[in-house]
Amino acid sequence: MAAEHPDVVVVGSGAGGAMAAYVLTQAGHRVLMLEAGRDYDPKTETPMFQTSADAPLLGAGTPDKNFGYFDATVDGGWQVPGEPYTTAEGSEFLWWRSRMLGGRTNHWGRYSLRFSEHDFKGYSRDGLGADWPFDYEELAPWYDRTEALVGVCGANTGHPDMPDSSPGVLQPPPKARVPELLIAAAAQKLGIAAAPMHRAVLTRPLDDRAPCFWATPCGHGCSIGAAFQTTTSLLPLARKTGLLTIRTDAMVSAVDVDAHGKVTAVRYVNRKTGKTESVSGRAVVLAASACESARILLNSRNERFPNGVANSSGQVGRNLMDSTGAGLGAMIPALVGRPRYNEDGHTANHIFIPWWGHEQQAKGELDFPRGYHLEIGSGFDAPNAWTGAGVQGYGTALKRRVRETYGAGVYFALRGEMLPNRDCYMDIDDDVRDKWGIPVPRFHWRWAEHELNQVAHGLTTMKALIETMGGEAPALPSPEAAIRKGGEIIHEVGTTRMGTSRKDSVTDQWGKAWDLSNLYVTDGGVFASNPHKNCTLTLMTLAMRNADYLAGELTKGAA
Amino acid sequence: MSKQGRDRLPRITRRESLKWFGMVLAGNALTPYPADAAASVVVGDDHWPMLKLAPVTAPGYGQDPDLVAMTAGPWPRTLSAGELDIVRLVAGILVPREGDVPSAAELQVEDVVDEWVSAPYEAQQRDRVPIVSLLIWLDAESERRFDQRFVDATDAQRVAIIDDIAWLDAQEIYRRPAQAFDRLRSVIVAAFYCTPEGSADLGYLGGKAIAGDYPGPTAEALRHLAGVLASLGLEAWVDPAAG
Repeated sequence: MAAEHPDVVVVGSGAGGAMAAYVLTQAGHRVLMLEAGRDYDPKTETPMFQTSADAPLLGAGTPDKNFGYFDATVDGGWQVPGEPYTTAEGSEFLWWRSRMLGGRTNHWGRYSLRFSEHDFKGYSRDGLGADWPFDYEELAPWYDRTEALVGVCGANTGHPDMPDSSPGVLQPPPKARVPELLIAAAAQKLGIAAAPMHRAVLTRPLDDRAPCFWATPCGHGCSIGAAFQTTTSLLPLARKTGLLTIRTDAMVSAVDVDAHGKVTAVRYVNRKTGKTESVSGRAVVLAASACESARILLNSRNERFPNGVANSSGQVGRNLMDSTGAGLGAMIPALVGRPRYNEDGHTANHIFIPWWGHEQQAKGELDFPRGYHLEIGSGFDAPNAWTGAGVQGYGTALKRRVRETYGAGVYFALRGEMLPNRDCYMDIDDDVRDKWGIPVPRFHWRWAEHELNQVAHGLTTMKALIETMGGEAPALPSPEAAIRKGGEIIHEVGTTRMGTSRKDSVTDQWGKAWDLSNLYVTDGGVFASNPHKNCTLTLMTLAMRNADYLAGELTKGAA
Repeated sequence: MSKQGRDRLPRITRRESLKWFGMVLAGNALTPYPADAAASVVVGDDHWPMLKLAPVTAPGYGQDPDLVAMTAGPWPRTLSAGELDIVRLVAGILVPREGDVPSAAELQVEDVVDEWVSAPYEAQQRDRVPIVSLLIWLDAESERRFDQRFVDATDAQRVAIIDDIAWLDAQEIYRRPAQAFDRLRSVIVAAFYCTPEGSADLGYLGGKAIAGDYPGPTAEALRHLAGVLASLGLEAWVDPAAG
């Protein structure tokens, strides 16, 4: 029934689409969800206790499975056969896609850090980029609701870059491991505070999801539902209402808009038949991912809207941002041969290093705006295709060296805020179409001095941390060499940004397109800036808040 | 053969090398050389074979393989029985049996090497030429030194050859075999530690479901950490979430 006469057509089943569908169906509205990829069931498809020995090539990444054989990405990765994208001359950009129900939530890192008061008003502070159309206080209760629904473990510490959650919202975090405790002690000596990571992993039961049993990599997906993915949480919950219909293999190409600025239909290619079909609803929610949703709007151009729909501001596809990324690692002699114990935990950071530089920035002591955090790679990892890599020699001496150095390496990964700039955007490459006949995005990219200076600062900090632990840091690369490619951190946002004016933003604070009466965006496209705190928690929080608004409008009959 | 002794060996002649390569290649039915294959082999002072292998064109496992059921790549294997024999011998030298812990050879890691060099992906194909070249070179080097193929040499003779190529700062004349050996070693060592026996030998204690909260470091591990912190002059960090 929802399929025939939906109140809302939701495009995409990842973090933004699933949250919108959950909120709308809870409010009694019928939702038809279109997902470009295939159906996917983590309960039966997740390789949980499989080891590297159970995988082709010891599970090593390949062009077919970029993040390793067991990574929970179906029909996706940096390249999707038949679905190319292009880059402008001189630009490098990588665009990760997952053509599957649940999208990228099936494999994401699940780090879930709230943006802080600094993050929503960056422009007011330093005159760069754009402010968000609300402040932290407005979003705080929505963060609480989202964290409680999603299930986030962590701790309130009062850290100035990590707003506290309301009491009882966070689930207890796991204990820190030995290398993390050493890193925290080294950071402390440098005047930098480590903190428990917040992560969308259950440590207590929630709904019909089991808590983490501390054994299998979350990136493989989680059949017990401990590690959040929409396919074990929001989508089953929404389906229980009987109001959600999901249509997979439905690759949306464009929306049709009438003379009154109302979306009348969503056009999609049925990937099984290759035929174009269309559906309509009272409202449409785009949550296909920042770049896919912008692509849909730009590809919806017609004589009346030659630059694409919802684009009177000219901002669709602009303000494309990713997180900065860089890393540095070393062997720590003091950790060589340390006592063994089970360091799996929830298979990612139990603690990390939040941004500590607000005061220095306020005093003008830093040559870059905004901040970054450091994630940690360490521990007695499960053996894999890289175990023993770099050890030379042979025989019992080789084995001894591998054993001694096991768990003695540490690696820091910087994740930083990027400012929007004129050189970073996407448009449509009219010369290239995908196998469905849909024109593809073309990416333009150039890091600015802000990001390069930030990465230089991060590398210096990582070196200092390594040396404080008695390690020998490798020679520092230049920031230009160290910074990862645009898109490589998979935090692309900003292409349909929200704002307070239709002149310089695509949507209002509710994610509603300024130009259209019934089109909303609930993916990362609406981000007005891209703080260093991994984007998905805020993306879901905005999706919850704005779908709640849309639900109200539908109930009132306003949409 | 010690590293020092190598320089006193008589130089191999090009003619002799070609004879060896012809012999080796004749036994390698899975590398489709042209009739004049031996003549296409370039031989330098290190008699390193310059192979032109036909590219692997088999499909990979695709972007939607059965993650639960598929445990090995579906592509055809390309190493010959003779090459696998050499890999097995090298694996036994690289990771020998220690007490109750079997050697890499006993755990059949040559199957992983075969899967690896036969895979159609670029990274594995990059490893294929040096690794297959190394297998040819090992036979030729054994012939040169000991007048018998690698499989027929004594354990001590095989170790002598491996000893010359086991470090990346090997003598110049062993530089290319050493670099290739580094790649083969990487696959064999990883394959060994990925087995249950190798994983246990490494001391990996995870991969087991735990009821309740994550237990964290053991008392022994924390005592060790305390010693580390003291040696580095660091104060212990107090986890605000603890207690």
